[in-house]
Amino acid sequence: MQDLKALHEAIISGNAKTAKAVTEQALAAGIPPLTLVQEHMMPAMSEVGRRFECNEYFVPELLLSARAMKSALELIRPLLAAGGAKPTTRVALGTVKGDLHDIGKNLVGAMLEGGGYEVIDLGVNVTPEQFVAAIREKGANVVAMSALLTTTMPAMRTTMDALQQAGVRQQVKVLVGGAPITQKFADEIGADGYSESAAGAVAAAKRAVGA
Amino acid sequence: MSMFDTQGQAVSQSGRKPNALKKLARLNTALCHQEPDRVPISDFFWGSFTKRWQQELGLPPDANPYYHYDLDWIVTVPNMDPWIRPFQTLKETAEEVVVKTGFGSIMHKHFEFPMPEMRGWETDSFDKLEHARFDDPADRRRFFAGGDNQIAGVGDGFQRNTPPWIDTVKSLRPDFPVYGSIIEVSECLTRLIGQENAMLWMGEEPERMGAVINRIGEFYYQMARAEMEAAQGLLDGFVIWGDVAYKKCTFMSPQYWREYFKPWVAKITSLAHAKGLPVIYHGCGNVKAIFQDYIDMKVDAYNPLEAKAGMDVLELRRQYGHGIGFCGNSDIQVWETGDHEAIRREVLRKLNAAKGGGYIFQSDHSVSSAVSGRTYDYIVKLVRDFGTYPITLGDFDERI
Repeated sequence: MQDLKALHEAIISGNAKTAKAVTEQALAAGIPPLTLVQEHMMPAMSEVGRRFECNEYFVPELLLSARAMKSALELIRPLLAAGGAKPTTRVALGTVKGDLHDIGKNLVGAMLEGGGYEVIDLGVNVTPEQFVAAIREKGANVVAMSALLTTTMPAMRTTMDALQQAGVRQQVKVLVGGAPITQKFADEIGADGYSESAAGAVAAAKRAVGA
Repeated sequence: MSMFDTQGQAVSQSGRKPNALKKLARLNTALCHQEPDRVPISDFFWGSFTKRWQQELGLPPDANPYYHYDLDWIVTVPNMDPWIRPFQTLKETAEEVVVKTGFGSIMHKHFEFPMPEMRGWETDSFDKLEHARFDDPADRRRFFAGGDNQIAGVGDGFQRNTPPWIDTVKSLRPDFPVYGSIIEVSECLTRLIGQENAMLWMGEEPERMGAVINRIGEFYYQMARAEMEAAQGLLDGFVIWGDVAYKKCTFMSPQYWREYFKPWVAKITSLAHAKGLPVIYHGCGNVKAIFQDYIDMKVDAYNPLEAKAGMDVLELRRQYGHGIGFCGNSDIQVWETGDHEAIRREVLRKLNAAKGGGYIFQSDHSVSSAVSGRTYDYIVKLVRDFGTYPITLGDFDERI
């Protein structure tokens, strides 16, 4: 039996090369891809998130772990897709219209992927129409919006209105975050979840989708 | 119109008006933790705010908040680009422009949006970063020649051919206390290689990246020295621009920051002090984990103390006493509501921090276009009405 502790450790320590190599070996040894994801990779990213939350890890460590996770996931995703497995949650992620900042959004994306979600990264300056299109055309069932500037916070409300008007609001859960965003603001605009940090976004998504 | 494009209105550049000297005394007294005549007030204004303010108050297009409100200090920026060169225009339409700057970053500025987007970097590998050779930090063009530079040119506004820094200093000096400024390594890295690469490479090869940080730290230390010399005594203080934290904590571990970033802030601070210049450090985010370090470095005041990152000037005053001055912290999100009652509560509560001196009233970052002209007008009036010493805040008085 392959020692899969090495995969867990490689993700926690942010070693992409090892994470990829161990994943390759494990797949060659016949270990089911879903087992690798659910029993080894996701718990590793969960530990990374925990360390980030309690200031044992900082942004550099988080980025390294996310990269290690991604390198392993790149090997696994095609196999999952070929096996007919469909991600239960597909997140349309973007920085809202008028806002061009992306590091916070990217960290959230990395953590959500690490948490087992499929992330459709819509980029920055994402219009309400683009979020609606991601729901209709790509099957997103979670919308995650980010804003760094106080002046772009209203774009979150506009997007909520657009989801409502397009008749897709009931199909999705909406998460919000970013430097000026608070739980109070999230409640005011009717979002389903809020996180004050990238690591907390996974828990917020889980709470929102009830998984 | 942008945050750092205020040019002085003084025709004669010789001598300072008595009012400027009075404001300087006010500022310095506050920074020495003594009570001046009233609490100093200033801010950094988005160009889009200034336009809105002019329209709403029926002011002429050349009206400027620093002059209109007789604000107490102003900061200037020389050319801090690693490579002194004009912007290379990659795309330009009526709505947007894409340029490559003297940091080698590809900047996209959409004129409707408040802040620019960095789309790419000339220095896109660790190897290139290690081998990058910058122009002379003391090159006279940084201070004595006009031209494009990223810090002044691509931000909340877009400006080409910024006037010579020394002319700006001289033109403002008759009316204001004028500060020079320098970026620290974190700000350079964000523009030079992007924040994500900077963080990733710090994580990947901390010591190798540390060597780069030290090299860039030395570069900006030498530039700060050259700037102070170029000013020939015309500066009243010095700002160090740095951003090492986000909403929750520092981007990198406090240990890493202490090992590689802090020494350069300390050196620039000492250098400024040796020239008789007080230092205001500008750093966004939640810096509680390293706040004592700024006191240890003898930084005179900390700005902007972002309320949205959990920074609170009264808590800090209670924790650190008068070990450091504070500049900012008035919650811009409250200002943006336009709700006078809420704004009054916010402003008067924060004025408690000015008891015993040591406080410059400003927003907790900069005045955005979401703040109305009338609101800012009201805020200045509040600070002037209630910020006269001895400070009496009635129901808002708090024991510090």
